[in-house]
Amino acid sequence: MAQIGGIELANVTKQFGDTLAIDSVSMIVPPGTYCCLLGPSGCGKTTLLRMIAGHDEPTAGDVLIDGQSVLGLPPAKRGTAMMFQSYALFPHLTCLDNVAFNLKVRGVAKAERRKQAHEMLDRVQMDGFADRVPAELSGGQQQRIALARSLITNPKVLLLDEPLSALDEFLRLQMRGNLRQMQKEFGITFVHVTHTQMEAIAVAELVIVMDHGQIDQADSARGVYDTPHTTYVARFIGGQNVLGGKVVRVESGAALLEDARGNRFTVPSGDPAPDTGETRYLSIRRDWIEMEKLADPSATHSDAVNSVVGKVWMTEYQGTWVKVSITLPDGEEFVANINDGTFFANPAREGDTVVARWSAEAVHSLEHRESSFDTSRGGMQA
Amino acid sequence: MAQYRKRSWTFYVLATFFILFVLFLYGPMLAIYILSFQGPTGGLTFPLNGVSLHWFGALFEQQRTGDFAGSFTRSILLAFLVMICTVTFSVMAGLAFRRRFFGSTAIFYMAVASLVMPGLFLSLGIGLIFRVIDVPTNWYVSALGAQLTWTLPFGLLIMFAVLSRFNRSYEEAARDLGATNRQTLQYIVLPILFPGLIAVALFGFTLSYDEFPRTLLTVGPGNTLPLEIYAMTTTVTSPALYALGTVTTVVSFAAIILSLGSIAIIQWRRGGRFRK
Amino acid sequence: MKVPSSIVPYIQVAPLALILLVFFGIPLVTVVVVSFFDYVNFQTVPAFMLYNYEEVFTSGLTITLYLTMLKYSVIVWLITLFIGFNVAYFLVFHVQSLLWKIFLFLVCTVPFWTSNIIRMISWIPVLGRNGLVNQMLISLGLIDEPLDFLLFSDFSVIVAYVHLFTLFMVVTLFNSMARIDPAILEAAVDAGASRWQVITQIVIPLTKTGIALGSIFVVTLVMGDFFVVKIMSGGQSSSAVYAMWNEISMLQYPSAAASAVILLIVVVLMVVAILRVVDVRKELSG
Repeated sequence: MAQIGGIELANVTKQFGDTLAIDSVSMIVPPGTYCCLLGPSGCGKTTLLRMIAGHDEPTAGDVLIDGQSVLGLPPAKRGTAMMFQSYALFPHLTCLDNVAFNLKVRGVAKAERRKQAHEMLDRVQMDGFADRVPAELSGGQQQRIALARSLITNPKVLLLDEPLSALDEFLRLQMRGNLRQMQKEFGITFVHVTHTQMEAIAVAELVIVMDHGQIDQADSARGVYDTPHTTYVARFIGGQNVLGGKVVRVESGAALLEDARGNRFTVPSGDPAPDTGETRYLSIRRDWIEMEKLADPSATHSDAVNSVVGKVWMTEYQGTWVKVSITLPDGEEFVANINDGTFFANPAREGDTVVARWSAEAVHSLEHRESSFDTSRGGMQA
Repeated sequence: MAQYRKRSWTFYVLATFFILFVLFLYGPMLAIYILSFQGPTGGLTFPLNGVSLHWFGALFEQQRTGDFAGSFTRSILLAFLVMICTVTFSVMAGLAFRRRFFGSTAIFYMAVASLVMPGLFLSLGIGLIFRVIDVPTNWYVSALGAQLTWTLPFGLLIMFAVLSRFNRSYEEAARDLGATNRQTLQYIVLPILFPGLIAVALFGFTLSYDEFPRTLLTVGPGNTLPLEIYAMTTTVTSPALYALGTVTTVVSFAAIILSLGSIAIIQWRRGGRFRK
Repeated sequence: MKVPSSIVPYIQVAPLALILLVFFGIPLVTVVVVSFFDYVNFQTVPAFMLYNYEEVFTSGLTITLYLTMLKYSVIVWLITLFIGFNVAYFLVFHVQSLLWKIFLFLVCTVPFWTSNIIRMISWIPVLGRNGLVNQMLISLGLIDEPLDFLLFSDFSVIVAYVHLFTLFMVVTLFNSMARIDPAILEAAVDAGASRWQVITQIVIPLTKTGIALGSIFVVTLVMGDFFVVKIMSGGQSSSAVYAMWNEISMLQYPSAAASAVILLIVVVLMVVAILRVVDVRKELSG
């Protein structure tokens, strides 16, 4: 099936009164892509979605769908369909009439629209519920009806505003898979807004991480997880430890950094190489860290390069690994995900002083970005 | 609530209090409904001297009880007019108030002021204006207007309550699915709000049907039913007065049962969730 | 025809605004203007004089009238507040099933939709000399002679007012209380609050706006009452509005207008006093 529904935003800006909700955003979503807009609440992701849908108009900039500017067009003429947060299913209509609503307002004859709506209900395995009203359905069933109601308009782009937030954990995992399948089956673009990192990583081919009305990184799921560009993305996506230090020297493609405690790390120097004295940031994946208990409980730093010393304040068993949270002497948190076999061979307890080490290859250089996002409540869970 | 689930002593005290309150509310009304079936020789108080429909018949004897049939018809027609105007205009205004517009606060305060204004004050004012412009007052213009100053603010406040629970994404969803503004209103907004509209209609009808002070100086030559009843309280000293009360209340109850019943049916069809 | 969306609200609000302007705004102004007019031999004569007000203020009768009405307002307000609070509290916090809650709430509100006059005169066969209460008390042997103070007295006036207006307290208090998350009360109990403290520290502060709105309804309704005092006192007392009606019957419109303006000022002052204690705007607009 030919894939349709390419989206292009060119310098889109949205201002609400004095607040700048979207600050000159440009992005391209190739046709037939499953794209997630990811960011903390208030980052502008829903505003961006609503501007693509036509429920809000940008203050400046252009929105193109399949190469055509859709500015000023009403939602239905854009080839987009939106699935609203908590679905907005019409409470007074049966499932069948909800799904047939678009056909009804387009003037399709009753018999024909009922036939098409039944077919669509069948595709989402909900034909048995045609005569029920939304209040009689479970959350997962409502979501399928909402999906059917949107898809019957033959959209090029389906816009989903927090589609899984109304569901419980179990259904969320199941419906997440369903959405991905539907997207493949229909061959159209899905733009899915979420604030849950895990959800975005699991479903999306393209993850767009946003903050403060701007795009920090648009990349594959693996890209944002494994090679975050900025300290913000690294912290928000989680799975990474972020450290910073001043450049001591640069040699053979690597810069040596030293932090305030005297810990030293290497980081690829990049091009152009940084000057001595500059501050640089790096991330290390939590699962690429080795940990060892120290005999001296008063140690505050390690003499070896690429290691830090701190006190264990919490260990959480996660099944196949153990999440060890370490407080560094300056109060920052450092997390090591240790394989459960390795951990229990010589378990660290809360209060133990440990050294955490990593190899130079596990390190990734970051650009620094201030963010409103508070690291203590964020990070990908599990 | 754990503490209250145990049915503490306060439950029984308050339940008794509530039952007494309901008795207080309905007891006297019940008394006059029963007394309206008083036998032809019975008087204004208990005991019943036989049971008959005599006093209902007496209502239609023109000279005895005034113009019952005329005022009754007039009241019903007026109540329907008021109801239609109240529903239409307060729904429109309610929709308007969802956006901020110039003068919205002023109109809101005017409505609230109109609600708490002593009725006879307005009645006097409207009566005076009609004298000044030298148009005789009548039930279908001046009394209609006077009653609307009372029912429209009520309707507006109910619409505020109804619309505050109305999720705007229904409208966006309809527009997203290609509905025009008119289609959105016709197929989505009004049907979803329909139980609220019935409530507005009930208020419009019953408030008009029972209205007294605003109608007093604005109704013109023919009385409405409450005015007729008021006149009777001083002139009629027979159970015919109670019969009139019973007839009036039957109409009120018909309106209440019809409205609340249809709201209940609609809510039940929408999934059995009764939302207050 | 395409209507610019910015003027849509004006079109939508126009009928309501126009009706209120014509039948509320203009009459209000008219009454105020006429209150300064003169009247000679049943004819109203345009003028500007304060005589009508002087007349009202210097009449000892007016003062008595207003004092009586104020007395009724305060007594009725206290009683309806007490009943309304307890009834609403019972419905919101003690009735568990939602269906029962709605049913019992409707039981309390249905009389609102029936005729006030009928509800008022229904007390006559109950409280009268040969009424139900007296018959019952005599048959129980509690009294030998019928009690006379039951009907056509201050007592019957207050009973009728309470009967007519308690609904307003019940409804407004019910609305306020229904917004309280029951978990808050649980939390207060967990924190060691007694039943009484829960009511004074949690429920009352959170229902302030409901109390204020209900009070405004009750006070303005009593002050604006036309016939309850007249009929239920057996013609002994009269309400401010009834006095105004007498002047109207005698075609003394300017004098009636002055009474109306004074009544309005008194009512507005009472409402303002209530609003000074509690800000209800949030409740009304939300």
